Amino acid sequence: MAAPFDEQFFVSLELLLKSPSKDALRELFSQSYRQVATEGGRLAQRTAEDLDIPFAQAQQLLQCLHSLAHHVVFRGLTRPQQIQDLFPASFHASLKNLITKILLELSPAWRSEAIQTHISLPQLKAFDWRVDMVTSSDSVSRMAVPSCLLSLQLGEDRVVVESSRETLDTMLDGLGRLRQQLALVAGK
Amino acid sequence: MRNVITYLLMVRVDSASMSGLHLSRGWLSDACVLANQELVSGRSLVLCCATVIVLCATVIATMLTLHFTKDILPDSVNNDFQNINKFNEPQFMNLIEIIFQFLLEPKETERFMQQLSAFAGEHGMSPGPLKNLMKSVLMVPQGALKKSLTAQQVKEDLLTLGLNEDKAAHFSKQWGDHSAVLSRRAIGQTLMVNQLVDMEWKFGVTVGTSEIQKVGNISLQLKLVIRKGSSTENVYMELTLPQFYNFLHELERAKTSMDCFS
Repeated sequence: MAAPFDEQFFVSLELLLKSPSKDALRELFSQSYRQVATEGGRLAQRTAEDLDIPFAQAQQLLQCLHSLAHHVVFRGLTRPQQIQDLFPASFHASLKNLITKILLELSPAWRSEAIQTHISLPQLKAFDWRVDMVTSSDSVSRMAVPSCLLSLQLGEDRVVVESSRETLDTMLDGLGRLRQQLALVAGK
Repeated sequence: MRNVITYLLMVRVDSASMSGLHLSRGWLSDACVLANQELVSGRSLVLCCATVIVLCATVIATMLTLHFTKDILPDSVNNDFQNINKFNEPQFMNLIEIIFQFLLEPKETERFMQQLSAFAGEHGMSPGPLKNLMKSVLMVPQGALKKSLTAQQVKEDLLTLGLNEDKAAHFSKQWGDHSAVLSRRAIGQTLMVNQLVDMEWKFGVTVGTSEIQKVGNISLQLKLVIRKGSSTENVYMELTLPQFYNFLHELERAKTSMDCFS
């Protein structure tokens, strides 16, 4: 994931010196994190205009910002020194500190977003239940048997499942044991 | 006059079931013609016949009050039960055993038919009439299961249908012994939509992803096996810890609600 940064990489980054303000720089980092540089046609155009640089250079700059941000999130760099060590000694010191500060500020939000959106099985978004009393059926004309309906919202799909009392008890039994195991793990 | 009334009543009994007082136009016009011939009022004749019909229907209905069904049974059922009375005790007990075996496993129709054929062969009777006999007999336990009847009620019905005391007592005792299992089976057959058949779970820790080298989230993965028609479908899902605790809490509330109603 994290490629070693070459000299050209940092040359591109120094173009950021032309940025009009610190907020604009922060905004640029924020937007470039989400977009893959090759797609960011409009962003590259805007960047080229703001920094008064050719379009091609703007695209390359965005690519570098994207890579740097992802590298910081991937490695979990949380101390300023860790980020500053990525830069060569000859790099503009104030810019280096500013970039470090912005990355430290934005990376926790990026990290939680990555955790939320990483691949997984369909997430249980919502869960509803209903308890019915079955009073009659074609095989027994009078009865009083409870039945439970569970509605599970998984991503875009909704699944409705019916279970008898015994099934629900067994399910709760299993999940209760799971809760105990989790408590044990948490206790360790 | 008596002949007129008898004639009208016979026509009425032949033409329709005694359970309704539907007097067809044909019957009414016959009544009027005959009334004219006998020089009596048509209305009086119709009223007289209608009264007799109602009385007969009431008597018949009272005689055949059955617990297991409210329908009027055909005469062949009475005949069948009279025929059953002719079996001796070992034969009857064998037959009852075959019947209850079938009731406990109703999908085994082939086996039931084979057992009846074997029984017929052993005792020198033809299988066809025996099977018809069994159809009549099976009506009682099947109706009793629907209405959740007691052994005493089943015995009363069998006596009403003409079975003798000993045989009725034996049958109803077998019913009493097996009724719990049979009821559970009947309840278990109740229609369920997307029935939850099985659940498997595992929980684990996410170690890393392509975005973050080191992660430490606990996640729970559930697989629910759902019966859809005759096949099953697996539904997979993932829950975070807070979602899991919420899920468990809601399930416990559902269980409490179910327990309240039973």
